[in-house]
Formats: sequence, C-alpha cells, structure tokens
Amino acid sequence: MRSKISKFSIGLFLLVSIALIFVIKLYNKPHLDTKKTKADFVFTTQNFISEYLQDEISADKKYAEKVIQVKGEIYNISTLKGNGVVTLKFHDLESSIICYLLPEENNKILKFKKGQFTAIKGICKGYLLDINMVKCVFVE
Amino acid sequence: MKNMKIIYTIIFVLLAVNQAKAQDKFFTKTGYVSFYSHSLVEDIKADNNQSLSIIDTKTGKIAINILMRSFMFKKALMQEHFNENYIESHKYPKAAFSGIINNYEDLDDEITETEITGTLKIHGKEKEITTRATIYIKENEIKLSGNFNVEVADFDIKIPSIVSKNIAKTIKISFELSHKPYK
Repeated sequence: MRSKISKFSIGLFLLVSIALIFVIKLYNKPHLDTKKTKADFVFTTQNFISEYLQDEISADKKYAEKVIQVKGEIYNISTLKGNGVVTLKFHDLESSIICYLLPEENNKILKFKKGQFTAIKGICKGYLLDINMVKCVFVE
Repeated sequence: MKNMKIIYTIIFVLLAVNQAKAQDKFFTKTGYVSFYSHSLVEDIKADNNQSLSIIDTKTGKIAINILMRSFMFKKALMQEHFNENYIESHKYPKAAFSGIINNYEDLDDEITETEITGTLKIHGKEKEITTRATIYIKENEIKLSGNFNVEVADFDIKIPSIVSKNIAKTIKISFELSHKPYK
C-alpha cells in the first residue's frame, strides 16, 4: 500500500514538473529568428507591391506575419534609432517596401548604395501606404 | 472596412490637396507609439516605430494610422496573444486617430503644451478623446509627444478571466512623432 502511494506521488511529481517545464518554455518562447527561417514567399519588389495595391485585404491575409523574401532596387537607405532601414521601390509604383533591419545587419548596410539591387528577408507587418517589414536581414 | 477607407481618404486628402503648398503638410512614417499595462502580476509594454502621422499646418488637422501587428513585445507569446486573441489583428489590422490640434494657428516655434481632440479607433470601436500634448514647431520639423489613458472595455477588447489579473483595465498610450515636410 505504502509502495503504491509512493509510486503515485512520484508519478504526480513528474507530471507536474513536465507540465511546469512546458508552461515556462511556452511563456518564454523566443521570437521568430528571421535569419534561420526559410522564407514562406519569394517576390520581386514589383510583384509584392502590386499584390497589395490590387487587394490589400486579401494580400494581408496571405502575407501578414509571414517571412517574405523580396528582391529589388534600393530606393533609400536610412536609420531609425540606430538600426538600418532600407526602402525598396519599383519605378513609379506609388508604394514601396520599407525594411527595418535587425541591429546585426547594420555593418552590412555600408556595402549598399541607392540604385543597387539586393534581396532582403523579413516579417511582413502589413500595408500603411507602403509595405512594412520588420526584423529584416540581407540574403547572401 | 468602410471606416478604414474613410481614414485612408482623410490621409490621401491631407497629402494630395494643395500639392503646390506641400510645405503645409508635415508627415512621418516612423512615429513612435507605445502602450503600457501595469498590474500586480506583471507589467506589459509594447513599442511601435512604424506609425504614420500627417499634420496639415493650415488647419491643425492630424491623422495617425498604426499597424497593430507592428507592436513589438518582449515576449513572443504576449505578442501572439495580443494579435490573435485580444486585438484580433486579422479582423482589425489598423488603429487610427483623426483629430485636430487645438488653436494650432496660435502656436509659435517654442516648446508648447497643447491639446488634441479627435476620434481614436481601435478594434473597430471609436472613442472621442482629448489629450494634452507637447508640441515643438520648427521650420522643417513638428515634434509632437504626450500620453493618455484608455479603458480596455471602451474598445470591446475581451480579456479571458484566466489572465484578467495580468492585464490592466486602463492602458497608458504614449507617442513621440517627429514630422518632416511632405515632398
């Protein structure tokens, strides 16, 4: 009888411990690592902007919170709170793609100039006159 | 969605009207907006550095648009719950404010306390608000900063009872917007 109670106690302790570890892991789960994550969609600047300009709601359903890789011409390079921001644009399309880079990409930004072509991967956050992408990294 | 179109129309009108007088419009695409919830269980803060704000200096009108998904939290799980369960970003991807900086024409190029009145729309619900703000008008820049409180219940945001003690009923919203001339 005593042995049965002891087995039950150990079992219960293990179960509670496993549940607790699971909850702590879930609570502290890390943010998506763009660098290590394969892009869900790969676009040219023109195609991605065109999709949003044609139907913002439908594009948002497909691409918001997804990892997107975009290739296009650099229209502008700037900084925001010490981190690089690269704007990709296609000719006279009214909108652009604003890519907010991760801090570790700051040194790479020096290699680029306006008018150059590059590929950038980041998380799409939606459309606000332009498409916003955060946690962006240059694709080698 | 109809209301979002109206807000977009306001922004486009603010940008498009009087192209010849483009110096009348000041705007930013990188405005900072944050919110802060304090409770006995935990403090929650989220930052958004991609807010769109436009001021018409002829009228003092201001329009702000924010992507809710651009609020960044320290914890990924909080960010997930905020977007999926509370604010429902898939249904209401944007928050918007449309209003007026009171007595704009009387403000000079010093740091001044002013009042902003307008309609705040979050989670599809609108609420009239008036808040104090600090404004600094320079030739090539208009800085606007301040904070105000909102009640979660005013915007029909449902917080499950299991986490109700973790999230404050009143949330502090802070903003720092540095507008440049619209070209």
